[in-house]
Amino acid sequence: MREQQASRTFDVVNTTAIFLFVLLCLAPFIHIVAVSLSSARAIMSGEVSLIPVELNWNAYKQVFSDMSMMRSLGFTVMMTVLFTVMCMFMSITAAYPLAKTKLKGRKPVMFIIVITMFFSGGIIPEYMLVRNLGLLDSVWALVLPGLISPFYLIILITFFQNIPDSLEESAEIDGSSHFRTLVSIIIPLSLPVIATLSLFYAVGRWNGFTDTLMYITSPEMYPLQLKLYQLVQNNMVSELMQMEGATGQSMLQPESLKAASVIFATVPILIVYPWLQRYFVSGVMLGAVKG
Amino acid sequence: MTLKGTSYLRRYWQLYALLILPVSYFIIFKYGPMYGIIIAFKDFNFFQGIGGSEWIGFDGFREVFAMPDFYKTLRNTFMLNFFDLLVSFPAPLILAIMLYELKFAWFKKLSQTILYIPHFISWVIIGGIVYQVFGTQSGMINNIVVSLGFEAIPFLTDKKDWLITYLAVGVWQSAGWGTIIYLAALTGINRELFEAAEVDGAGRMRKIWSITLPSLKPTIVTLLIINLGHMISIGFERPYIIGNTAVRDYSDVLSTFVYRMGIESGQYTLATVVGLFQAVVGLIFVLGANYASKKLADQSIL
Amino acid sequence: MVKAAKGKKKAIALLALTLVSTMLFSACSGGGNGNAQNNKENGGEAAAGNPVTLKVEVFDRGNSPSGLSITDNYLTNFVQDNFGTPNNITMEFVPVPRSEEVQKLNVLMASGSDVPDIVFTYDSGTFYRYAQQGGLTELGELLDQHGPNLKAFLGEETLAYGEFEGKQFALPAKRAHLGKYSSFIRQDWLDKLGLPVPATTEELYNTLKAFKEQDPGQTGGKVIPLGMALAPAQYEPLIWSFIQPHSEEERYTLTQQLGSRDYPTLLPGFKDALAFMNKLYNEGLMSADFGLDEDKKKLNEDAANGLVGFFSEDDMNPFYPDGLYATLQKNVPGAKLSAVDVYSNAEGKHPKPEYAPVGLYIMIPKSSERAVEAIKYLDWMASGDNLLHMQNGVEGENYTLQNGIPVVKADAPEDVKNRIYNQGDMAIISNGKQLGDSEKNVEAYVYGMPEAFHEETRRALTVSRSDTIKPVRFDRPIEAQGKYGTGLLDKFHEIIVKTTMAKPDQFESVYETAMKDYMANGGQAILDERKKAYEAMNK
Repeated sequence: MREQQASRTFDVVNTTAIFLFVLLCLAPFIHIVAVSLSSARAIMSGEVSLIPVELNWNAYKQVFSDMSMMRSLGFTVMMTVLFTVMCMFMSITAAYPLAKTKLKGRKPVMFIIVITMFFSGGIIPEYMLVRNLGLLDSVWALVLPGLISPFYLIILITFFQNIPDSLEESAEIDGSSHFRTLVSIIIPLSLPVIATLSLFYAVGRWNGFTDTLMYITSPEMYPLQLKLYQLVQNNMVSELMQMEGATGQSMLQPESLKAASVIFATVPILIVYPWLQRYFVSGVMLGAVKG
Repeated sequence: MTLKGTSYLRRYWQLYALLILPVSYFIIFKYGPMYGIIIAFKDFNFFQGIGGSEWIGFDGFREVFAMPDFYKTLRNTFMLNFFDLLVSFPAPLILAIMLYELKFAWFKKLSQTILYIPHFISWVIIGGIVYQVFGTQSGMINNIVVSLGFEAIPFLTDKKDWLITYLAVGVWQSAGWGTIIYLAALTGINRELFEAAEVDGAGRMRKIWSITLPSLKPTIVTLLIINLGHMISIGFERPYIIGNTAVRDYSDVLSTFVYRMGIESGQYTLATVVGLFQAVVGLIFVLGANYASKKLADQSIL
Repeated sequence: MVKAAKGKKKAIALLALTLVSTMLFSACSGGGNGNAQNNKENGGEAAAGNPVTLKVEVFDRGNSPSGLSITDNYLTNFVQDNFGTPNNITMEFVPVPRSEEVQKLNVLMASGSDVPDIVFTYDSGTFYRYAQQGGLTELGELLDQHGPNLKAFLGEETLAYGEFEGKQFALPAKRAHLGKYSSFIRQDWLDKLGLPVPATTEELYNTLKAFKEQDPGQTGGKVIPLGMALAPAQYEPLIWSFIQPHSEEERYTLTQQLGSRDYPTLLPGFKDALAFMNKLYNEGLMSADFGLDEDKKKLNEDAANGLVGFFSEDDMNPFYPDGLYATLQKNVPGAKLSAVDVYSNAEGKHPKPEYAPVGLYIMIPKSSERAVEAIKYLDWMASGDNLLHMQNGVEGENYTLQNGIPVVKADAPEDVKNRIYNQGDMAIISNGKQLGDSEKNVEAYVYGMPEAFHEETRRALTVSRSDTIKPVRFDRPIEAQGKYGTGLLDKFHEIIVKTTMAKPDQFESVYETAMKDYMANGGQAILDERKKAYEAMNK
């Protein structure tokens, strides 16, 4: 009886705490939405917190009527999917052999990988490499250099190592090849972590834009985040405008447009996780062991 | 090669075949540009390139090690990372367990999705919001504090208060995102264990302690080792944007130091020196952490 | 242990292998690169008579209207048709992101490839660095031979900024308007209290006190008599007005240039300025959170909400459409903002810094084979009414001339307006609109503002141009400034914030500590180098 009481108290406290934290995490997002729907005057006067003031949809009309934003969305989705698929292919093929602690030569390979977590050549040689490979101004310049993150690879290895050896051994006794074991046992058992890392890679690619500043010159290949960044940067303070000798009008973009673009560029990637949650079903492993 | 060797290869060639593409990737894209490191030992001239610039040996290191700001930023980097390790590292773990214990499936899914939203808001925007919330003069919190008759709290301008603000914003921004990996690990728990524990009359805390946490151990250890390896490196944006002039004694870190030298002053040699220093220390840390974990927890990432 | 050692050995062997292949790789690519270069040169010579390509950098701000791109628009076509085609030159515009211009330029330069024939930057440090490292074409003779119009247009004063060790390595764009700052006061508050416009700093102090005590805006105690932010437009006019008379030598040696601005850190009177700010702060006469407000967002918000009585700002800033003044009038009906010149020195003058007469630094990399064509292009831009056309579009369609000033036709169709959306980044030889003299240039700015604010804008632009202090210019770069400048700017801000926010009795010690830190982290190095440079200059 007392146990149950304690358990119920735990649930109440736990749920309330999560609920409060959820509100805290939601608030800034609502604030940005509110700004995107408010008038320039209200924004400048600092009147907008969580509810739009002098509601209007002009910013969204502008975003959705901008063909280049739409094109950019299409390109970003394409690039992110391509990147994520290739990353996961590479990471899984690397992690499976490296998860086997007894594999000869594993240690030096791991060492080589870990070193790249800390040492890098810097921006100039990296640019030269991309140029010499003929990748400049192509989607591959945004995909190939970041294919494997050593950090995510190590996580994947850790997860693979936690799959009970007995499963693999029984497969091996049945005469299954390593390739088959990987495809028919390891991957199905690792769906939660594969979904997680796909999300990590996808989000990283979606949000990253510094490489595009270096490698991409064609506007058709501007990802959304780059356009967003330019929009924010162009909203420079007056001082810079004055330094540049700008004559008044229309260099400044309204704050609401900035906010609407943030929403436009964030929502597509936000809905990826709820969609991936289907792979987060507990007991995948258990079912496999039993079956 | 011995017979044993060939039969080993025959048995395991597929595993090596799988490694060909990934290893080539690392060699081409990671080690290919690595000759850039020698910039640290050269007086880098843009027009003579890396090969043509003049060798200066360790002069760049001497120059960096003679700068008072180098030590200040190094100390701050360690300090902020250390507090982050105490506060921001456990936060997602605790949050993940709390989420796992939630009773209603729909609320669980919904809150997971919302909790990771802050990760998607860029630091520039977060900076603006932090200012509105924590400002001394008319920040939301201080408006309440003052209306209750207390003195306004300088969340952003007093060094110690700022440190707390910095950590709180870090937890808020990254905890939800960090839960994802733990939640993935938690799917591996055998539910029968809980049932068995219940039969034994174990309470909620007991079950968390002896079933949930142990199942997360490999993930925690891996993340901890990697985190320790990054004790000396720190993201640029968070300290830069949350920081301000009044608290620069704490908020000035190695990444802002490098940014000033490399990007704003074009001193690639000095920037590379600092980068190389960070890399060597980072590698030592991660190897040390790995060694310790092997001894203490029988787990190793190498 | 033995096993571990073995593993390490293998790792080293593997590493060595990787490094070898890496070197092979880069060696190969290096070789291939050289070949390509040779081919290009040969091709160029063999095909004499064919059009040559001139590559020109262009800033990309990502603001191209639908259907246009930064490399293909009205102005690029205008340049091709009117300069390129007649001279058998194919114009190629190379976009560089505005926000990362220096970094991208550095990488392009270091990679030695794809470098445009004409590059530019706003950063004088980058220009000096390139010149010092021997990466730029010397332009003196080229300019004499191929750029008479350009030379006349830029003029000696501007061109001097492009010299490095006595040689012309850059062509700075010419700035149309040199004024920076004006101050603004709530005229309706003064009227309400029956006070005159303050004419000196002392009178200002009394006015600020009156604003605080009598709260003419009925803000309910939220009044901010002096709006302050941690930005040059707010602190510079105040600080410079406290600087005491000093000799020519002191001006050269005790000023410190951090980034693009001169700072009076060591000049006599600097401490008095800080003491005044400390006093205002502790008496509650100034924005309390100014130290957090580096982008002036808070200041703008407070001023727009009618809480601020007096502030200084970039001269035109309050007048933009939907800007500060427009918002203030919407929030507080009857609010009136006047441009005034208040902060005064011992002589009753109102000193404030002005811009150097330059904008972009235009450079031609040494590797370029099209230096002659590049100068010809810039010379073409400076001749006839090409610049007028590039900055304003077509007369009668984009603008009408009123008293020699092009006034934008607000009712022009969208596609006509879009012709010149990128004029600031294409007309690189000029910073702002050039109409012959500074009075006219200023008028062009006035006409760019909403009609209701023309009069006040004109007044602010007059304030910003009076009693100005010119930037100090050496005939050689001060290397320590390039090295420590950005870091010291942060330290300078620390001095301001810490001394201002200190309790009055701690002001002295806070000032001493902050100055010490400033001097130790490069301030002394700059001082020493400037002293040397001054001696060398006057030999």
